[in-house]
Amino acid sequence: MSRICIDVENVTFGYEKGREILKNISLHAGEQDSIGLVGANGVGKSTLLKLLVGLNLGFTGRIQIGEIPVEKETLPQIREKIGYVFQDSDSQLFMSTAFEDIAFAPRNYGLPEDEVKRRVNRALELVGISHLRDKQIFKMSGGEKKLVSIATILSMTPDIILMDEPSITLDPRNRRNLIRILNSFKQLKIIASHDLDMILDTCERTIIMSNGEIVCDGATKEVLLDKELLEKNGLELPLRCFTRYTF
Amino acid sequence: MSKISNAIYEIHHMDMIAGRDQWVNKIHPLVKLILTIIYIATVVSFQKYDVIGLLGMSIYLIAGFILAELSFKECLWRLRVVLPLVCMVGLANPFFDKVPVQLGFIHINAGVISMFTLMMKGAFAVVASYLLIATTSIEKICYALRLIHVPKILVTQILLTYRYITVLLGEVNRITQAYSLRAPKQKGIHFKVWGSLTGQLLLRSIDRANEVFESMTLRGYQGEFYYIGETIHMRWQDILYLAIWLGIIFLFRIIPVIIVIGNLVGGMFI
Repeated sequence: MSRICIDVENVTFGYEKGREILKNISLHAGEQDSIGLVGANGVGKSTLLKLLVGLNLGFTGRIQIGEIPVEKETLPQIREKIGYVFQDSDSQLFMSTAFEDIAFAPRNYGLPEDEVKRRVNRALELVGISHLRDKQIFKMSGGEKKLVSIATILSMTPDIILMDEPSITLDPRNRRNLIRILNSFKQLKIIASHDLDMILDTCERTIIMSNGEIVCDGATKEVLLDKELLEKNGLELPLRCFTRYTF
Repeated sequence: MSKISNAIYEIHHMDMIAGRDQWVNKIHPLVKLILTIIYIATVVSFQKYDVIGLLGMSIYLIAGFILAELSFKECLWRLRVVLPLVCMVGLANPFFDKVPVQLGFIHINAGVISMFTLMMKGAFAVVASYLLIATTSIEKICYALRLIHVPKILVTQILLTYRYITVLLGEVNRITQAYSLRAPKQKGIHFKVWGSLTGQLLLRSIDRANEVFESMTLRGYQGEFYYIGETIHMRWQDILYLAIWLGIIFLFRIIPVIIVIGNLVGGMFI
C-alpha cells in the first residue's frame, strides 16, 4: 500500500451560483491521519467528502490526492486509491450477495478471478464477517449491511478511506465492532459523523464545520471536550462526558 | 405483509431459487438461454389448429419442473397476473373464426380450437421463461446474453432494471406506509395526493438511482458490467443436455408424437 495524502486549497462549491455550500475550505491530511469531520446537519460534511472523490466537480480551488489533482480526467486513478462508504448502505450494495458486491470493484479493475477471491476473503476477514460471504444482501440486518459496505471498499485496498456516518443504524455491539475495525485501519481516514463518542474513539484529529466553513481543526481530545466551541457550532459534548448513572 | 412487501419478497425469493445448488441450476446459462429461445420459437411456430402437436411440447416444461425440483403450483401462483393476460389474447377467435369443426360427437367453431392454441402458446412461453429464471440467476442470464453478443448497454439495462425494481418498490412501500399511518381510516390512497406521491416517488427514485450509480463509479465501473467473475466453461454434460433437448423439441415438432403413441397404444388393444 502506497501512502498518500490529501491537499485541499481554497475550495468553494455550490450547486447554484451565489449559494455556496462549501466556502474557502483548506486542509491537509497526511498519510495515516485519522480525521473526524463534525458539524451540525447541513454544514457540508458529506459534500466535502464527495468532492474528494470527484462525485461533485465544478468547485473552485484545488484538491489533490497525492500528486493527482481531482479533475474529470483523473477520476479513475483517484477512485482506485479512495474507498468511500455511503451513509445509506442500501445505496452502496446493489449486487445479490455479499461476495458479488465485494468482488465488484476488483473485477472492474481487471484483476484475475483468483486474486478477486483472495481479496474478497481478506476483506471479509478484516471486517470479521466471513460467515456472511454468500448471504444475500436483502436478508441482512442494517449492521451487517454496513459491515459489508466497509468490506466492499477494503477489497480495493484503498490508501484513503472516507466514511459518511458509518455508525448510523448500528446497534451498540455493532458500533463497538465498527470502532475496533476503524482503529485497525492504517490508511488515512476521514470520518464524517454526528457520533462524537465514536470520533473520540477512532480519530486523533477533528475538524469542525459550520456554514460550509472549517471553524476548528485540532486534536480530537481538545476539540471535542471544548463545550463552548461545540455549542457555538450546534454540537454538544460527547455523551460520555454526561455519564452519571443513577439507579 | 402488504402487497408491495410481498412483491419485494417474491423477487428476492426468485433470486434464492435461482441460486440453489441443483444440477439444473449449474448447467451453462447459454445452454438454458438457447433452449428457452428455441423452445418458445418452436411453440409459436405451430399451426393454429394443431392443439395435439402443441400439447406434446409440454414435455419440456414438465421435465424441466421435475428435474429442477420446482413447484408447478408455486409457478402458477407467481404468474397469476401474467397468465390470464396471455390467455386473453385468443378470446376473440371464436367470434371471428366460425368455420364449423366436428370433434368426436361435438360440433364447435374452429375459432375455439385456435383460441386454445393461442392460449397454450402464450402460457407455454411464459412458463418456459419462468423455468429459465428459476434455474438461472439474472447475472448468469446477462452473461449468456453477452456471449451471444447482445449489446452491453442493453444487457446492463436489463440487469440494473431487475436490481432497481426492488429499490423502487421499497420506496413505494415506505411512502404508502407513511401515508397509511397518518390516514388510518382510508382504504388506499386518496386521488388528491396521487400527484404529489408520484412526484415524491420519482424524485426519491432518481436520488436513489443516482447514489447507486455513484457507488458503482466509485468502485471502478466504466460501462462494462462484470456479471460473473470467471468464464463459465461449457462442459460435455451441458452440450449433451442441449443436444438431447434439441432432439426432443425437433422430434415433437415434426412428428405428432402424442398421436403416434395413441395409435400404438390403441393398436395394441384392438
